[in-house]
Amino acid sequence: MEQPIPSRRQFLAAVGNLASVGWITLNWPQIAVAAEHADHAGHDAAAGPTSLTTLTAAEAAEVDAIANRIVPGGATPGARDARVIYFIDNALGSFFAGQLPAFRKGLTEFGSAYAARYGAGAPFSAAPEAQQTAWLKEADKTPFFTAVRRLTVLGLIALPKYGGNHDNLGWKLIGVEDNHYWEPPFGYYDRDYAGFEPYPGTKPYTA
Amino acid sequence: MDRKTFKTSETVDFIVVGSGSSGGIMARELARAGNSVVVMEQGPRMEAHEFEHDELKYRQLSGITNNPATNPQTFRRDATEKAERTAGRNPLTYARVVGGSSTHFNANFWRLHEIDFIEGSRYGGIEGASLVDWPITYAELEPYYTKVEWEVGVSGLAGASPFDPWRSKPYPMPPLPVKSSGVLFERGARKLGLHPFPAPMAINSVTYRDRPACAQCGLCGGFACEVMAKSSSVWTVIPEAEATGRCEVRSESYVFRIGMNKAGRTTGVYYYDSDRKEQFQNARAVVVCANGAETPKLLLNSATNGFEQGLANSSGKVGRYLMFNKGGGAQARFEHPLNEYKGANVTRIMHDFYDSDPKRGFYGGGGFDARSGGPLTWGQSVPKGTPNWGPEFKEYLESYTYWMNCSGHGTSLAQETNRVDIDPELKDDWGVPAIRVTYKDHPDDVKHAKWQVERAVEIMDAAGAVQIVPGEVGEASGGVHLLGTCRMGNDAGSSVIDKYHRTHDVKNLFLCDGSSMVTSGRGQPTQTIEALAFRAADHIAKFAKAGEI
Repeated sequence: MEQPIPSRRQFLAAVGNLASVGWITLNWPQIAVAAEHADHAGHDAAAGPTSLTTLTAAEAAEVDAIANRIVPGGATPGARDARVIYFIDNALGSFFAGQLPAFRKGLTEFGSAYAARYGAGAPFSAAPEAQQTAWLKEADKTPFFTAVRRLTVLGLIALPKYGGNHDNLGWKLIGVEDNHYWEPPFGYYDRDYAGFEPYPGTKPYTA
Repeated sequence: MDRKTFKTSETVDFIVVGSGSSGGIMARELARAGNSVVVMEQGPRMEAHEFEHDELKYRQLSGITNNPATNPQTFRRDATEKAERTAGRNPLTYARVVGGSSTHFNANFWRLHEIDFIEGSRYGGIEGASLVDWPITYAELEPYYTKVEWEVGVSGLAGASPFDPWRSKPYPMPPLPVKSSGVLFERGARKLGLHPFPAPMAINSVTYRDRPACAQCGLCGGFACEVMAKSSSVWTVIPEAEATGRCEVRSESYVFRIGMNKAGRTTGVYYYDSDRKEQFQNARAVVVCANGAETPKLLLNSATNGFEQGLANSSGKVGRYLMFNKGGGAQARFEHPLNEYKGANVTRIMHDFYDSDPKRGFYGGGGFDARSGGPLTWGQSVPKGTPNWGPEFKEYLESYTYWMNCSGHGTSLAQETNRVDIDPELKDDWGVPAIRVTYKDHPDDVKHAKWQVERAVEIMDAAGAVQIVPGEVGEASGGVHLLGTCRMGNDAGSSVIDKYHRTHDVKNLFLCDGSSMVTSGRGQPTQTIEALAFRAADHIAKFAKAGEI
C-alpha cells in the first residue's frame, strides 16, 4: 500500500460521516486519504482500562502470573506485556460478571492447593518460573485454569479497548497487522497465481 | 430521506415479520407492487459505521445475535429427555438486527442444483428420514436465482464448474480476488482430478448498485459489513423498499403472537415495542419471514380457538423436520504465511461431490470450500498433541497466519422427530415462551460428514500442507442454518405451506424463509431463501391485486 494507512477508528469514522453512498462510490480509493484528514484526535476510543476495578491487587497478581505462564514473555511479548490482566479484570466486572463468583472460588482453591504443596509463606506469583510451571502442570485440568486460559487468549487478541492486547502486542504476536482494508496479494501463495484455467468442456462467461 | 411510518390503528396491506434475507425482499417486492407494508424486526437498526471489527463482541458476546441470557432456548436429543438450557450459546443462532442474518452471513451464495428438488423420487425411502420432492423444480426457481444475483448483487464466474446447474444469465460481477487459501485448495483439488472454481459470493467485487467493492477487511462471517460491500438486506432491498414511500421498517419490535378473528383470518400482529410495551398492528395479511426458528415459534405461540395446536398447524408439522447443514473438514498448515485474516472469507469452492452417490453406502452430498476464521476464535483451541499453554502454545499462536480451513458443507436429512417447539417452562426476558429444540443427527448425516473429513484431508495433503488437523465429527447440538420447520408441499396433511407460500390453513397468512425448505441443500441456503422470497412475493402480490387474500 503506497498511501499512508489511517487507523481503523479514523477510517470507520470517515465512512460513517459520509452523507451519501454516491460519495463512497465515486471516491472509494480515496477514502483512506480522506480519513487521514478526518479530525478525531483526542478521542482515542481504542484505549482500554489501565487499572483494576474488580479484582484485588493480590488476586490480580496471581492471575497475571498464571496468564504469563500460559503465554510467556521473552524474546517476543507475552500475556503480561499485552496487559491481559486488565482485560480479565474488565471482563469479570462487566460482560463476564456472571463468572466472577466461580472464578473467585477457583482462585481461592488454586491458592490453597498451592500453599498445601509449597507452604503458605509466599503466593504462586512470587515463585520462580520453574516452580510456577511445575505447579501449573498439576493444576491445568481444573475448570479455573481453563477459565484463565480462555480469558488470557481473549485478552491477548480482542480489541485493545477491552484492556488487553496493549499496543496491539497480541496481534503482533500472531502476525496480524491492524488495518481495515487490504489489497491482493494477501499471502505467499496468491502472489503469482496465474489465473483461473477453465476445464475442458466448460465455457466460463461474464456479464 | 424521510421514512414512511404507519399508525398501529391503520390497516396496512401487509405486515412482514422479519427483515432478513427473505423479509427484506418480500417488503421491497410487495411495496413496489403498490402495497403498504410494515416490516417488524426484533433487533435494532444499526448504521454502517456502528459495526466494528470486534470479534469478541460479535463471535463471543452475542453482539447482534439472539442472546442466550435474554432469549434463551433449551435443547435435548430426543423426546424422552428433559430439555435443558445449554451453556454459553443458544442451539439456534440468528442475527437480531435490521437485515437479520443477511447482516452477518459469510455471503456464500450457492444455487441449489436440479437434483435438490427431486431427491425424494431419486433416493426416498431412507429409514428414519422424510426425504421428499419439493413441490417446485429448479426450472421454476431459476429465474428467481438470476433475479437474486442481479437485484441483490452476487459476484462469481458463470459456467466455471462442470457441475453447475444451467443458468439464464451470468453473474453481474466478476469473482472476488483469490486468496492464498483459494490457491492452495485449487492446487490440491486439481491434482486429485477435481474441479474447484471461483466462489459465488454475495459481496461486491466491483462497484455495483451504488455500493463499493469489498475492502478485503477479512471479517465477514459473524460481522456486518461497514463499507456495505456485502449484499445484506439492510444495505440492498431494505432501503429500496423504503424508497417506495409505502414501507416502514419498525425496529425493536418483537412480534409474539399473530392476531386471528372468528372467521379464521389473521388481523395483524401483537408485538412488544422498544419500551417492551404491548402493541397491535392491523393488517390485511401477514407474511412471516422470521427464520426457521422464530417462524415456527411464532405460529406455535399463536395457538387460539380453532387452532389449539398452533396456527396453521392442522398437519402437526409446524416446527418439525428441522435441518441444519452437517459437514466435515480439516485445518491445514503450510510452509509460508497465507494471511487468511485478510480478504473475503471464501474464494474457491468445489462441487464434484455434490450429488449423493449410493456407492458410498449412505445418503449425502455436499460442496467444499477454502476458508478462513478470525484469530480470536481460532486461538481458543489447539490441535491434538499441541500443549494449550506455555512456550509451545505460544509458538502455535505465532503460526496463525500459516493456517487455513478446507471445509465440507453438506446435507442433513429431514426427520419428523427433529423439531422446534415451545418449552413448557422457560420464558424469555419479554415473557414469551421460549424455543425448545429436539435434535439428533441421522446416521447417514454423520457418515457423510466423516467422509467429507477424509476428502478434505486428501485435498490439503495434495496441496502440500505441512500439518493437517482432521475435523472431529460430533453430534450436532445446534446450528445457524435453520431449515425445514414449516415445509412447503402440495398435501395439506404433510406440509404447512403450499407452493405459493400460503399456509394451508389460513388464507391471508404466508410464510417464507429457511423454514419453507423441503430438503437441506448442500450447506449454503441463503440464495435459495432469497430466490424463494422473490418468487413468493410475485405470487402474493398477484393474489393481493386479485383480491385473493
